Amino acid sequence: MGAIGATRAEAEAEVGKTEMKVTTTGTQPAPEAAAAADGRPAKTLETRGVNLFYGEFHAVEDVTLTVEPNKVTALIGSSGCGKTTFLRSLNRMHELTTSARVEGEITLDGQDIYGRAVDPVQVRRLVGMVFQSPNPFPTMSIYDNVAAGLNLNAGRVKKTEKDAIVERSLRGAHLWEEVKDRLDKPGSGLSGGQQQRLCIARAIAVEPEVLLMDEPCSALDPVATLAIEDLIGELKSKFTIAIVTHNMQQASRASDITAFFNLEQTGKPGRLIEIGPTEKIFTSPAQQATEDYVSGRFG
Amino acid sequence: MPGGIRVEYQEELERLEASALGGIDLASAALTRTLEAVEHQDVELAQIVVADDDRIDGRYLEVHQALITLLATQSPVATDLRLISALLHVLKNVERMGDQCVNICKMIPLTGNEPPSDQQMVGLILDMGRQAKMLLSQAKRAFADRDIELAQDLVRQDDVVDNLNRECFRLALEIGDDADRREWAMTMLLGARAIERIGDNAVDIGEQVAFVVTGLFREFEDASHPSV
Repeated sequence: MGAIGATRAEAEAEVGKTEMKVTTTGTQPAPEAAAAADGRPAKTLETRGVNLFYGEFHAVEDVTLTVEPNKVTALIGSSGCGKTTFLRSLNRMHELTTSARVEGEITLDGQDIYGRAVDPVQVRRLVGMVFQSPNPFPTMSIYDNVAAGLNLNAGRVKKTEKDAIVERSLRGAHLWEEVKDRLDKPGSGLSGGQQQRLCIARAIAVEPEVLLMDEPCSALDPVATLAIEDLIGELKSKFTIAIVTHNMQQASRASDITAFFNLEQTGKPGRLIEIGPTEKIFTSPAQQATEDYVSGRFG
Repeated sequence: MPGGIRVEYQEELERLEASALGGIDLASAALTRTLEAVEHQDVELAQIVVADDDRIDGRYLEVHQALITLLATQSPVATDLRLISALLHVLKNVERMGDQCVNICKMIPLTGNEPPSDQQMVGLILDMGRQAKMLLSQAKRAFADRDIELAQDLVRQDDVVDNLNRECFRLALEIGDDADRREWAMTMLLGARAIERIGDNAVDIGEQVAFVVTGLFREFEDASHPSV
């Protein structure tokens, strides 16, 4: 899945080349690959000096960070600090807003996702997004909801192949057992937690490299929330995951790395204050602002 | 909104810290009475110390439970979490120090009304006790002020207690052949050992000061890996 924005044929050729290289040179798997032995090595998302704007408004300033492969990175910070804007820039959704623009560099395994020849649709296939409110296509069946991405991205897929992908994706999202007997029923008939898992199944059906989640549990009850958190823990064996959350306990439970965003005052751009292992951020953060935020001393 | 959020939680945490550190004062008061009971062979006072240990145990249970409630209901993190973890350790040390005083006081009636005591050894034990009380006071101050240097100095102060303990041991070896005197000396050695442990408890509290401030726990002195 190397070449973003290249044609599908080129991308497949790229994959072929990589495989050839591994075969001929006997290259050892990277450490990340070894770490994700039960899954697959995912890709690294890196940002360097990223600034995000809405027209004249400078929303996010100079963010340099790495979203590490096969790990869950939580983005935390108070409302308006730019964490969701930043998340949306990671799969080029930010630019869908009128007058929005991006400066700086964002790369997926070293490839600039904002490169001139890069197709944003291809970026969004490699970097999937799960939104705050579960948003299954209301008129589509459960089956078609999962297959929707396949139809858009992969052209014609054989029915048997599609069946296999739908089942694999629903199993991956811990939903298969609950819906396997009613795949033709509307997705909107599911509970909130099930709908969100359906959206996750839809996102992983196209086999992205990275999953972005924007407060995926904020509309769910505690049991459904814990189910999604368990699922996130399993998905990281296959994907690189970044999650925006307002729920501090969720960040501490579900993530490996935590990035804290803050803004000096309203109207100023949000900035990355501190990023580190979640355990460290919640036991002994390096910055006083982080300490104050995670301790709940400031709004 | 600096200072405007979670005010009750912060006040509760401060109250519990004061209460836990107040437990050090209770242990220190128990040690004062214990030393007096040793000096005057005062069996009644020793019994009071034993009975009064319930107050220290009560403090332990009360503050421990309140800290667990804070953990369960307030999800403390960062410095607050380290502080609560440290206070749970401090409470355990306070409870152990109270028990050491009880151990000494329970021995006092066993030595009889007019024991064949050695004034030099009694003097050493009283010196140990006074030094241990100083350690307790210093440990409390170091914790309240988050003063790592003062906490680390507890090791040096504790060395004084350890040296006096060794001196007690030497005196006990040289106490002579009289069976009663030897039995008394052995009993007193157990008392000296209990005070020596109180000194160690004070150093443990100092280690928690460093943990609260830095987030890193390390033993100031490691008995299994003594420094050369």
